[in-house]
Amino acid sequence: MPLEELGMILALNDRTPSERAMVPQADWAADGEDGLLLAVDVEPSETLAQAPLIGVEFPAFNDGRALSLAVLLRTRFGFTGELRAVGDVRPDLLHYLVRCGFDSAELKSNAVSASGALVSTGFNVLAPYRDNYQASVVESEPAYRRVRRGA
Amino acid sequence: MYRYDTFDRQFVNERVAHYREQTERYLAGEIPDEEFLQLRLRNGLYVQRLAPMLRVAVPYGTLSSEQLRRLAHIARHWDRGYGHLSTRQNMQFNWPELAEVPDILESLAEVEMHAIQTSGNCIRNVTTDQFAGVASDESLDPRPYCELLRQWSTNHPEFDWLPRKFKIAVTGASSDRAAIAVHDIGLAVYRHTDSGVCFDVYVGGGQGRTPAVAQLIRQGLPVQHLLTYTEAIMRVYNRYGRRDNKYKARIKILVKAMTAEGFQQRVDEEWAHLKDSPSTLTEGEIERMEAFFRPHNYPAAEAFDLGGERLRDQQFDRWVRTNVTEHKVSGYAVVTLSTKITGVPPGDVSDAQMEAVADWADEFGFGEIRISHDQNFVLPDVPVARLSELWRNACEAQLGAANAGLLSDMICCPGGDYCSLANAKSIPLAEAIQRRFDDYDYQYDLGSLDINISGCMNACGHHHVGHIGILGVDKKGAEFYQISLGGHSGEHGLAASLGQIIGPSFSRATVPDVIARILDVFVAQRVEEETFLGCFRRIGMEPFKQQVYERAA
Ligand code: SF4
Repeated sequence: MPLEELGMILALNDRTPSERAMVPQADWAADGEDGLLLAVDVEPSETLAQAPLIGVEFPAFNDGRALSLAVLLRTRFGFTGELRAVGDVRPDLLHYLVRCGFDSAELKSNAVSASGALVSTGFNVLAPYRDNYQASVVESEPAYRRVRRGA
Repeated sequence: MYRYDTFDRQFVNERVAHYREQTERYLAGEIPDEEFLQLRLRNGLYVQRLAPMLRVAVPYGTLSSEQLRRLAHIARHWDRGYGHLSTRQNMQFNWPELAEVPDILESLAEVEMHAIQTSGNCIRNVTTDQFAGVASDESLDPRPYCELLRQWSTNHPEFDWLPRKFKIAVTGASSDRAAIAVHDIGLAVYRHTDSGVCFDVYVGGGQGRTPAVAQLIRQGLPVQHLLTYTEAIMRVYNRYGRRDNKYKARIKILVKAMTAEGFQQRVDEEWAHLKDSPSTLTEGEIERMEAFFRPHNYPAAEAFDLGGERLRDQQFDRWVRTNVTEHKVSGYAVVTLSTKITGVPPGDVSDAQMEAVADWADEFGFGEIRISHDQNFVLPDVPVARLSELWRNACEAQLGAANAGLLSDMICCPGGDYCSLANAKSIPLAEAIQRRFDDYDYQYDLGSLDINISGCMNACGHHHVGHIGILGVDKKGAEFYQISLGGHSGEHGLAASLGQIIGPSFSRATVPDVIARILDVFVAQRVEEETFLGCFRRIGMEPFKQQVYERAA
């Protein structure tokens, strides 16, 4: 079976992925119902952040611009809708996406179960680390403000 | 030095488990090659010409004796009995098996070490002055801030997939031994009478095929803003740095395209949103970090006059002059143990040498060792009264060469013998040069001279900042070497400068003679105790060019 047909939309947190359609920026209207599909090099704005669903397209799995765009949408433009990663999204990079504020990801494989565990090994790819040093979209404070360091 | 707490230990252990799981899945065919490549690079594993290479992080070049013994163990157990000191203060092993790397990482984690982000397009190991904390010309020990940056940049959710690799260097001394001017971010740290610990922030320096000197974009940044300001720089770079051409992807290209002023403005706009956010450093965290690097409790050392010993033994006298540096505390000295012995690739050290250095660190110091960017070991706290004893031990272990900073103390990348990117070999050339100038008296008379050799444009051998830089080039399939003069990394309070190319390149066999001619010009033209660099800056390229090419023609 071609990979595309194996695709699935994986929830990265408690939010249930929407079934709304996503349209490119040129076809999108702020007062419409559609979700918005953004390229990684777009300048985010408050207008765009009104969309109920934003898909950020990874042109390559290692294109970190998608991560900065997600952080800006979440922390600067007040985007509260669903943020979805589309394009070249790989299971092993999902943990970065989670921490940058993505809610869901369109995967071109069925290697990950709905709970975020790898089907083959059971490893949880959404949260390989119990804690991290820095603040992030999902953890507003860095470790040194939250846990007693030095013990 | 810094010690892991429960938090660090948990993170590093989880990282080992994570990478082990990824390695297993890769070997089972579940992760595509191009993706696993990126994952393994971020765990230090490179695949070079002959075999994989594992680059172990030595954060800001500081090691404990226990850690160095573990590296010796790794060299013995998983490698062929040696390791390689890199120009970025790390330790590299050349023969690990891909499937065994998780075991090596687990062994490292036991002694609070890792190989995280030592390769790949992410924030690399932060480097600093190899004499940090003990140098007499230092205003502030930069290592607490290096450690804060290390933790902040480790597994950063937003900045682990940058357009290109990213190197940060920090210095706290007037002689910039960390070469901050040729780093993506260079930080000069000092204590300001009113605002306390501050940083001058430089961006966009680098070597490689488009060398550039970093530009000052912020002066006097108070320490609590260190991470948020760095975050602003990283975000601008991550979003706007080029990703279409890897040779144009470093931050220096972006800074040039935007101009330093334009870049600075962009960073300031970004920082306006981040300043005073929760990532602002707390006083408690800054103090916690500084406490790890407080000066040792130095037992008062009796005043000791080395004069007699130096008079009696000319070799020792010379070693003291070249390899012993003044310590902040009187009665103590900083010792550079040179790995540059003719016939041994620069930076290569055996497991037995590592064990010996670890033992000396315990016996003649506080159990601490440094790795310098010129690929030598440093013992930071040796009592002056025990220098001759240490020196005799070092000579026996082939680490007693009196050549620190001299011609034969070359910086040299692994080159064509190991590296698949190389245009030319660099190690055999270093050896040929060492053989041509094996007279230590001559070297000593020449004084401070940095010869830096890179096997290709990637400049791992820092050829742009060598007083004499040598670069391997490919001329119709043959290995040739381009020579540049006048490069300088910013030591001894002089501004950093990039070398100028002297002219058409040379075959390997002729390079030692060409260097001899260059040095002849210097010896003939130097005024009193002038250094090669000083002389070059005074008389310029022309006399060198004439001598080299007229005689060659
Ligand atoms: S400078 Fe070139 S040849 Fe030398 S180690 Fe770096 S990439 Fe390899």
